[in-house]
Order: sequence, then structure tokens, then C-alpha cells
Amino acid sequence: MAKTYDYLFKLLLIGDSGVGKTCILFRFSEDAFNTTFISTIGIDFKIRTIDLDGKKIKLQIWDTAGQERFRTITTAYYRGAMGIMLVYDITNEKSFENIKNWIRNIEENASADVEKMLLGNKCELEEKRQVSKERGEQLAIEYGIKFIETSAKASIRVEEAFYTLARDIKAKMEKKLVSKLYTPRGGHQLKASELQKKPTSWLSRCTIL
Amino acid sequence: MPDCSENYEKEISDGKNARNIKCKYCNSVILTPSTAAFTSFEFQLPLIRQSKINEQNPETENVSLFWAVTDMFTFQNVGFSNTVGNNKYLTCADCEAGPIGYHDLSNKMSYVALSRVIHS
Ligand SMILES: Nc1nc2c(ncn2[C@@H]2O[C@H](COP(=O)(O)OP(=O)(O)OP(=O)(O)O)[C@@H](O)[C@H]2O)c(=O)[nH]1
Ligand SMILES: [Mg+2]
Repeated sequence: MAKTYDYLFKLLLIGDSGVGKTCILFRFSEDAFNTTFISTIGIDFKIRTIDLDGKKIKLQIWDTAGQERFRTITTAYYRGAMGIMLVYDITNEKSFENIKNWIRNIEENASADVEKMLLGNKCELEEKRQVSKERGEQLAIEYGIKFIETSAKASIRVEEAFYTLARDIKAKMEKKLVSKLYTPRGGHQLKASELQKKPTSWLSRCTIL
Repeated sequence: MPDCSENYEKEISDGKNARNIKCKYCNSVILTPSTAAFTSFEFQLPLIRQSKINEQNPETENVSLFWAVTDMFTFQNVGFSNTVGNNKYLTCADCEAGPIGYHDLSNKMSYVALSRVIHS
């Protein structure tokens, strides 16, 4: 059967225990009816289909188990991951400080071109905030990645975060594809029709560069 | 709810699902038309609600009508549970109701129970 999608992106959620990774990926758990079969065995990953600029994107999103620490997450875990959401809790200074360790771990174990994004979760808990938005932004700038504050509880910007990460991976892939098409020894002759298909994304790439 | 094959006849066209397959509870789209093959066999599928929690020995019901999906990325939206024995159970990606079916790790096939979803 023909493929029913244009891109497949594998995404991971990483961060300290308790920052809200599971709630971001799955349903916010306070109202979960936990006498069900599924809530006892737990969910491993989700497949979601989104539409970006007319392309069908399949997202396969994985949570990480609570006990795991950056010391124990190694290459096997990151295999195939194209995007990573780095999550901290804005009411927990330590979880923010540990982002640096998570990034180091990703650099040591994940593919070099994995797309990363920083999430400051629990942003609806303004009165308990320990990490200012500015510090989050600053850290993201330092690492050259995007940053967004979310709340899994209040459903604030969670979807936006996934769309943003997916859009960035897609842009990166299309950029790679174009450079491959333009490589003389790539063995693939560029057809006029292929070029004409993506005039808008080509333009937007130029403005990023 | 018992399976009733007569009710489902109009849902099958050319051996595939004629309409969208959606979650009973929240209407999330699980499979789009013509992406799953109708198949019939017997399977003991755990009940969505268990009267008491018993992971080793969940209460089940006999289910016999399924939509078979060969590539998991054919799903529009779906959740995969942690592994139990040789299977992963399928859930709605939005409200997490399930099992709506199961995924067989040995042959990589996914089966959605007709009785646990709606067609519209
Ligand atoms: N107020 C508030 N609480 C949240 C939010 N997201 C998650 N929580 C709560 O934070 C706690 C931890 O959330 P989890 O999603 O289990 O955290 P986790 O990152 O998966 O933790 P581990 O699985 O141990 O790594 C739970 O009690 C959630 O209810 C949020 O946006 N706001
Ligand atoms: Mg968790």
C-alpha cells in the first residue's frame, strides 16, 4: 500500500522526574480515571498525524520512564530520535539547572543533528515560580534552540510546542533534501517539476539563512 | 456489547473500512477510510473498565471482528501501551480510552476491535 504520509518524525521527551513529561504527552493525570486497564499498564508512545503546509506528518512521541536519569539514558535510547523536548518545571530551580546536564547527555549520545526545544512547564503556577521566563529564554539562546512556556494542566501551548518542533525538523529535512538535489555527484537529476513544488519553503529557508 | 456482524456489513467495502474509524468517547480519528482490512478471529481483549486491578489476570471478553493494520504509521492518531506478554494494547490518542485493540509484536500487525470504536 502507498505511504499515507510525507514525513515520520520520532520525538522524545526528556527532563527531570516530576517536571510533567508524562502529562505533556498524555492526558493530564489528575482527572484520569485510574481503574481502567490502560491506566494500570501505562502508555509507551503515541502516534499523531498533523498537517504542516499541506504535508502529512506522522509524529511518534515517546515519554521517558520516571526513574531514568541522564546518567542512564544512552545511545540506544536516542536511536532514531529526530526531535527532543527538554522539559523543566518553572517552580523547580533544580530541574532548570539540570537542563545543562540533559543537553550534555544528548550531545554525547544522540545524533548530532537532532532538533531540540526547551519547555518550561507548569507555567500556570505563577505564584510558585522559581525560574523566570527570561532565564529560560537566555538558556535557549545560549544553546541556539527554541523556547516556550507550557502548562500541561491548563493546556497552554502544549500543542504549539509540538507543531513548532515538527516544523523545525521538517525545515531541516527539506533543506537537506535540497542540498542533496543540488549536489552534482548526488546521482539524482533534479527535475523542473520537483523544484517548482516547493517555492515557498525555499524562500523561507533563504530568509532564515 | 456482543459483536453483531450484520451491523457492520455496510462498514466494509472491498474488504476495507468504508468510513472513518473514531473513538467512541471523544470522536478522535483513529483510521481514515480504506486503510484497514476486515478480519475475523477470536481474541480475549481486556475490558476497558476493570472492577478490580489485576494486571496478570485482567477481566476480558471474547472479541472476533477486527480491522487489521499492517503498518502502525497508517494510524491517524493512536496510543500504544507498554508491552504485556507479546502484545501492546491500542488506545485512543486523545482520551486514552482503551484497549480498542492490540498490536502483535511478533508479526507487527495491529488489530482494532470493531465493537470498541465507532464508524462515521
Ligand atoms: N500545576 C501543574 N502541575 C503539573 C503540570 N504538569 C504536570 N503536573 C504535575 O506534576 C506531577 C508530575 O508530572 P508527571 O507528568 O508525572 O512528571 P514526569 O516528568 O513524567 O515525571 P517522571 O515520570 O517521574 O519522570 C504530577 O503530579 C502532575 O499532575 C502543569 O502543567 N501544572
Ligand atoms: Mg513520567
